[in-house]
Amino acid sequence: MIAFTGRALFDLLLPPAARRTAGAVAVALAAALALIACVSEQPLRAWLILLTGPLPELRQGADGAWHWQRLVRFGTVLEDTINLTLLGLAVLIPFRARQFALGADGQLFLGALAGVAFGLAWPGPGWLALPLACCAAMLAGGLWGGAAGVLKWRCGANEMVVSLMLNLIAIECYRLAVSRWLRDPGAGFPATPFLPPAAVFDPLIAHTGVGWMLLAAPLAVLAVALLLGRTTLGYEIRVSGAAPAFARQAGLPVGRAIVMSMALGGALAGLAGFHVGHALLKRLPVDLAPGLGFEGLLVALLARHQPRAILGAALFYAWLRAGGQAMERSTDVAREIVLVLQALVIVLVMAERWPWRARGRHWLGRMRAPGGTSA
Amino acid sequence: MNVSPRLELRALAKRYPNGVLANDGIDLRLARGEIHALIGENGAGKSTMVKMLYGLEQPTSGSIVLDGRAVRFDAPQDAIRAGVGLVPQHVQLVPSFSVARNVVLGAEPARWGWLRRGAARQAVRDLARRSGLALDPDALAGTLSLGQQQRVGILKALYRGADLLLLDEPGAVLGPDEAGALYRALRALADTGVSVVLITHKIADVLEVADRYTVLRDGRVVATGCSRDASAAGLAGQIVGRALAPAIDKAPLRRGAVLLRARALTRTTGSAECLDGVSLDVAAGEILGIAGVEGNGQGLLARALAGLQPREGEVGLIPQDRLHDGVAPTLSIADNVIASTYRRPSLSRRGWLRRAPVDALARAMIADFGVAAQGPAQPIGALSGGNMQKLVLARVLAAGPRVLVASQPTRGVDIGAARALRERLLALRAADAGIVLISADLDEILELSDRVVVLYRGAIAGHFAGPGLDARMLAGYMTGARRQPNAAACIDSPFAAAAMEPA
Repeated sequence: MIAFTGRALFDLLLPPAARRTAGAVAVALAAALALIACVSEQPLRAWLILLTGPLPELRQGADGAWHWQRLVRFGTVLEDTINLTLLGLAVLIPFRARQFALGADGQLFLGALAGVAFGLAWPGPGWLALPLACCAAMLAGGLWGGAAGVLKWRCGANEMVVSLMLNLIAIECYRLAVSRWLRDPGAGFPATPFLPPAAVFDPLIAHTGVGWMLLAAPLAVLAVALLLGRTTLGYEIRVSGAAPAFARQAGLPVGRAIVMSMALGGALAGLAGFHVGHALLKRLPVDLAPGLGFEGLLVALLARHQPRAILGAALFYAWLRAGGQAMERSTDVAREIVLVLQALVIVLVMAERWPWRARGRHWLGRMRAPGGTSA
Repeated sequence: MNVSPRLELRALAKRYPNGVLANDGIDLRLARGEIHALIGENGAGKSTMVKMLYGLEQPTSGSIVLDGRAVRFDAPQDAIRAGVGLVPQHVQLVPSFSVARNVVLGAEPARWGWLRRGAARQAVRDLARRSGLALDPDALAGTLSLGQQQRVGILKALYRGADLLLLDEPGAVLGPDEAGALYRALRALADTGVSVVLITHKIADVLEVADRYTVLRDGRVVATGCSRDASAAGLAGQIVGRALAPAIDKAPLRRGAVLLRARALTRTTGSAECLDGVSLDVAAGEILGIAGVEGNGQGLLARALAGLQPREGEVGLIPQDRLHDGVAPTLSIADNVIASTYRRPSLSRRGWLRRAPVDALARAMIADFGVAAQGPAQPIGALSGGNMQKLVLARVLAAGPRVLVASQPTRGVDIGAARALRERLLALRAADAGIVLISADLDEILELSDRVVVLYRGAIAGHFAGPGLDARMLAGYMTGARRQPNAAACIDSPFAAAAMEPA
């Protein structure tokens, strides 16, 4: 009995799923060390830089005062964490309705475009312009996401294909708008003008884009956790995803839940676009790189589609990326090793059970299976 | 001369992780060259036994003995190596491959990794001739009839060296001519020393095809013997069993107004299941039992009735396959039980679920229906079938349906829980709801129903008054041997003649 309660307490503090994720991360980090050892003269040092490189450093300057160093690198970790958190949530919500929507990229582009276009067109006081631009960005992303949902619901169009195609359309629309209608004639390359200073976030850390949007990440996590756990809409989304036949049979509005899940995911991706436009870049270049949306997918996978795990997963992902840059800069190991490491973590986390324990016996049996012998 | 039987089962038992005891101490002996019929109703445990024989499931206790040696099958490969072959009802073939390539698929004659097509054709041709299963090795599998596909399935098993064949209800999908041809081929095989286990729910198969038979009911062997000494009436009694005494107290019928009216429901699908002009009424305070061999349109009827608009209130449905659409197995008990009622003001307000009342409701249902569960947060999929079904019923009843369509409400449920579920249905009847009870369990139909109809090939084969109804007479209607002309189950439809014809 005591053993049982001890076990229950342990499960409560560290649920089995979280234990497995932690185990997968540990195995992947160990594998990274092994990999680095194959290519590096000083593997341990490179590995430690990978893990600790993003940390800011406290150093005594020549004048005897203490200064934080490497804050910019730490700032990029935070910037990436905000983006990845929002994009991870943007993938997570549709996934909970069993919709593999891959449209976060396009929604991010349209959100950034809508936010910046609003900021340029209406240079009002900052306290009003910023929230309105934020709403415009979320609305644009939400409508784009909802469009894929409506196509799925009304026409049965596969959401994966549709959202990928909608990405292409959104990105080309973005490029058209930036290079033709919003272009700053004074800039040497196709980009929008800078947003007016009143309509952007002041940095909290000098020379970085870390601003008050830092609060948006935990707030968004909280909002999504409440949405899924406490509202009727979230309930409809969860049931429709967990057991569609059951949801239909019980009379739940499955189609609406699908559309709403994709629209809400789109709104969050639009918010990430707002963050990119208003907090990080302050202007939009035509060659903004696509692909961030897919990293959101990986973050959602890493978090096993649990909202409360998203923040940690995003931080881990951003940390590895910054650590990889640090490692590349100060050792002989290329940053690509980090991509291998990321892939390893994802594969290990996604593995439903680890094969070498489960079915080894049967594989042996199959190898011994005889060829054809006729009766 | 080998005196030990080809196959012997000793006290074989299987309990599934959800607690269902599917096989309970099965003993069986099968000699070389014997055709042994395994007969019983749906859910009697036939499939479970075959799965264990083929290594798809592992017995909880007891042993499988082949030629006097106890064996253990962890996977079908082990069973194949021991000479056991399974021929499923629907043989899976590659339609664009020839018969020969389908037969050798997975065990192709090869040299240096290259297929030897000529050798494959020759081997299949020889095998077909020797076993008396006439088939053209070059015909495309996609062009074969169902009966021919089953022959390919048998050839596949023989090609892999099987001399103990398990056939899963081969006659059920065949016409009489094809079935006859298949059975003649089986007899010829048996004469060459192949042993056959023939799973069936047709009494005629036992009498005409098999040497010996074993009757399963509720996972136990209730009878075994020589087919020569068996009679149709005797077998029917053994298969169906007698009603469990003591019966549940049933209040006298107080039939009210007709709540649900269905006229000439007709539906065709791609498969054999259809509905063919079914007319029925359900009145307040009565239970209308739908009997019939499974696959005669019950599923379509349940869905059609659940989609109808009754005179007042709603139709509630207990789905036939609870893991598919009766519960969301990965979600909590609380999430499951509110699915029909979560929009009510008592459970949600302005789009926010009210956690405390939701939990309280789940707790109340768990207590009320005597569900063995840890609490509202436990995933419902972790419960046993009976406990899950109690919560399905609790959820459906919470919506206050005026008409309830209960499809196989006690399937796979242990006896105590089944009794509790039946009592709930009777309580609902006493509360003036109308109930349609669709069940493969004749005892249940007879115990609860005020009126009974038999469904055969999508049409109503007979309409009966519930009290005093005899299971053996219903069996005649269920197999299509008897039929009431223009039968319907409207409130004023005539009942079929209740007299039993001499066999």
